[in-house]
Amino acid sequence: MAPAYLGEFEQLLLLAVLRLGPAAYGLDIARELEARAGRTVSRGALYTSLDRLEDKGLVRWKVVPGTPERNNLPRRLYTVTAAGLAALRASRNTLRRMWRGLDDILKEPTS
Amino acid sequence: MTPPRPATWLLRRVLPAGARGDTIIGDLVEGWRERGCTRRAAAWYSRQALAVALRYAWRRDRINQPASAAARSTRMSFDNFLQDVRYAARAYAKSPSFTIVVLTTLALGIGASTAIFSMVNGILLQPLPLPEPHGLVYANEVNGKGDFISVSWPNYRDWRARARSFDALALSRDEALTLTGGDRAQRLRARRTTANIFKALRVSPALGRAFTEADDAPNAPAAAIVTDAFWRAQLNADPNVLGRTLRLDGAQYTIVGVMPHGFEFPRFSFPRPHDLFVSMGPVAGTPNLTDRGNHNGFSAIARLKDGVSLEAAAEELRRISKALEQEYPNTNSAIGAKAMRLADQLVSSIRPTLLALLGAVGCLLLIACVNVANLLIARGASRQHELAVRAALGGGRLRIANQLLVESTLISLAGGALGVAVAAWLLRVLVAVAPDGTARINDVRLDGTAMLFALAASAMCGIVFGALPAFQASGIGGQHALVRGRGAAFAARSHRLRRGLMVVETALALILLTGAGLMMRTLQQLTHVDTGIRSDHLLTTRLQLAGDEYIGARRVAFFGDLLPRLRALPGTTNAALAFSLPIDGSNWNSIFTVADKPVPERAKLPSAAFTPVSDGYFETMGMRLVHGRRFDATETPDSPHTVVVNETLAQRLWPGEDPIGKRLKQGWPETPDHPTAPGAYFAPWREVVGVVADVKFNGVTSETPLQAYLPLAQEPARSVAIVVRTALDPTSLVPSVEAIVRDLDRNLPLVQTRTMDQVLDTSIARERMSMIIFVVFAIVALTLASVGLYGVVAHGVTERTHEIGVRMALGAEARHVLGLVVRQGLSMAIVGAVIGVAGAIAVSRWIQGLLFGVTATDPATLASVVATLLAVAAIACYIPAWRATRVDPTTALRAE
Repeated sequence: MAPAYLGEFEQLLLLAVLRLGPAAYGLDIARELEARAGRTVSRGALYTSLDRLEDKGLVRWKVVPGTPERNNLPRRLYTVTAAGLAALRASRNTLRRMWRGLDDILKEPTS
Repeated sequence: MTPPRPATWLLRRVLPAGARGDTIIGDLVEGWRERGCTRRAAAWYSRQALAVALRYAWRRDRINQPASAAARSTRMSFDNFLQDVRYAARAYAKSPSFTIVVLTTLALGIGASTAIFSMVNGILLQPLPLPEPHGLVYANEVNGKGDFISVSWPNYRDWRARARSFDALALSRDEALTLTGGDRAQRLRARRTTANIFKALRVSPALGRAFTEADDAPNAPAAAIVTDAFWRAQLNADPNVLGRTLRLDGAQYTIVGVMPHGFEFPRFSFPRPHDLFVSMGPVAGTPNLTDRGNHNGFSAIARLKDGVSLEAAAEELRRISKALEQEYPNTNSAIGAKAMRLADQLVSSIRPTLLALLGAVGCLLLIACVNVANLLIARGASRQHELAVRAALGGGRLRIANQLLVESTLISLAGGALGVAVAAWLLRVLVAVAPDGTARINDVRLDGTAMLFALAASAMCGIVFGALPAFQASGIGGQHALVRGRGAAFAARSHRLRRGLMVVETALALILLTGAGLMMRTLQQLTHVDTGIRSDHLLTTRLQLAGDEYIGARRVAFFGDLLPRLRALPGTTNAALAFSLPIDGSNWNSIFTVADKPVPERAKLPSAAFTPVSDGYFETMGMRLVHGRRFDATETPDSPHTVVVNETLAQRLWPGEDPIGKRLKQGWPETPDHPTAPGAYFAPWREVVGVVADVKFNGVTSETPLQAYLPLAQEPARSVAIVVRTALDPTSLVPSVEAIVRDLDRNLPLVQTRTMDQVLDTSIARERMSMIIFVVFAIVALTLASVGLYGVVAHGVTERTHEIGVRMALGAEARHVLGLVVRQGLSMAIVGAVIGVAGAIAVSRWIQGLLFGVTATDPATLASVVATLLAVAAIACYIPAWRATRVDPTTALRAE
């Protein structure tokens, strides 16, 4: 089966989960996106997108018990699945192919 | 600490149950806590919760298993709906000027009505902020005319002993007391009350104890209970405050309690909250109180027994009063009792104004709605081609009507949201211009109820008035509008509807204009009332000679020290002292007896406002002497007792006779005219030495009462107003007057320092507020109506371009075309005006109570209002008519 197509936000989400390692949960992911990608994330978009990635089989999660600062509500820890990694690789390869040969045009101005 | 509950509730409703939902809520809670649990954090939480909820509400049926047929159809209509919303938003964005006009109209209509509704809601509808306020009753004694005259102490004792309707029947009054002993004297707002007031209110002190029956007993030690605000501001929130004493009007009061935070006693006379409560003990045994004929400003607040109705309780009080009338005919003749809900009593004076304003704003909202409907219909008409295309391509009628409804609802809700912003701003203005001491003004805020009102108003605009064009459009046939020419039947129908709406709008605008016109006339009359005084260049202030230092002769001596110093101030032309001021009203009303005349039956004994004044008073106030002489330096405590009466009194008692030399006595025929025992009450016979012209006494609208001026030297009141006439700006005198009084006694604070012009202004503040609001509403209404009229006429001209072209090609002159168009436009305005006049007359009795010097059906006002409306309408019609004359016949015909 060909790897699933990834939208830009989906790519960012998967990369954030990877960067955060095994303890990635909603709040950290939002923070990571805000810090590194410089975009504020609506929680509505965040959770529905994670659900979509889950539907596509690109992430999975497990539940761990909550702490007092979250009123003892449980926490969902995400990991990227093998299919998720494959999709990311495919996206990166696609982009690379498209970038190839355009460096002269698109390079950052140096002067 | 929990995050905002409504947001959490919403999340729980929308998110899937179990770990999937809980983890999301947990993340949000953590984020909220991370942001410091502040208001901003709460706002963030609510915002995110709403975003999550919206996403999930939309996705829910997709997350679940394969959709059933029913779910699929719901989803389809939901998708249709979203499509409609997107389409509508795009359509509005494409015609920004239309959108701006509609939004402005709606924001004005909804904003103004929400603001006025908030006032009505806070003042009239919200229950009093007291426990179980519905069971609280206000009771007072009334004279033969039905005016409240306050409850005499012995009568109250009898009420209390005999009445069975109440759990507690308490008596109390407002008193301004002077607090001394600190670095400077201070006036406090106190409520003198019987002990059971706290039982009636069902409130107990947070610290210490309530008053007990023992505190009511004559000569019981004086006790005080302070409010939380006073305790914090003046007593440093000292937890050991109980047992401390306060020196009030020269007497020591022991603090026995502190009221709970947030408790506020109803404000009857003070514009600001009370500072403390004081016990009855110090006054309970005084002759002033034990005399059954004296009504000392007390009123009753009572708690109804469970199961007893207000009517039954009022009836019982009336019965008791009847019995007392028979038992004590000397003092109680023609004196009855009246009871009503406490909440009703507090707002009784502002209620008619508020209801009139509510009616006015209702008119305004309707006008706004009609205007928007008109605009939507016009847009619908110009979009008939587009709609016909959609219909031809298979858009169902219902679907198209639906879409128009979505469009109108969307813009109404947007208008409503803007309206809330307008309301918030307007409410601040309204509260600021509301007259000082407006009952319950502090309970006015833009709360959830007001938001609901705004939402309901927007929904009404959107659904009712959006439905009209939607209904219209659903009648579009598939083909005929596509034939580029005339959707003639449709156009005619929509034009008829618009003309009908225009008539309604003009009629409503005329009603509002009439209200505004009447209010303007009222204010004009009020400001031109002859008050009988010269109010310019007069400074007034008040002082109270508190305590034991100032009794009898000491007061006279103090006044004798004070007056020459005031008169010696640079720029001062005269100065005087008086017990009560004109406009401000009476502090001492009393029955009086006339010598050498048959004594009428007791219920018919005359009553007058008794006003002790110093020499120079009539000159200082600029009052005209009609007859005899004014008070002068010959009036001393030991000189013969004299009195100056006003014209009304002279004419009532001695019609056609010379009043000079006649005698009268304050009090009943049997009141002794000389002291029968040391300290006993007596009222000497007084000889009339002068008659002065009437002055307006209780506000400027009330009729002047009978008035008797007594020499202050012979009747040295404890509380006096100082009046200073100056050639300068009167406010510039304030520091020097204060310095003079402080120099004489640093324990005497001055209160109510105002110019006489300010006193006058304050007395008509409510009328001024009504006038301003009505005029603003009327201007908005007139603007909306003329914009609407312009739109309809202009639209008519566009539709008839062809016809006009033909007429002009056939030789019609420009002025004929002009006349034709203007006539057709004006005919709508005239029909509207006629209906409006009928409407204004129909609602006139609602507004009559607010007017002064003009009747609600005043022909001059109606005529000028109609003229204004028609003039504005003529201008609104003239512009498109003039454009019609510019139609180039060849262009118009070629358009065919």
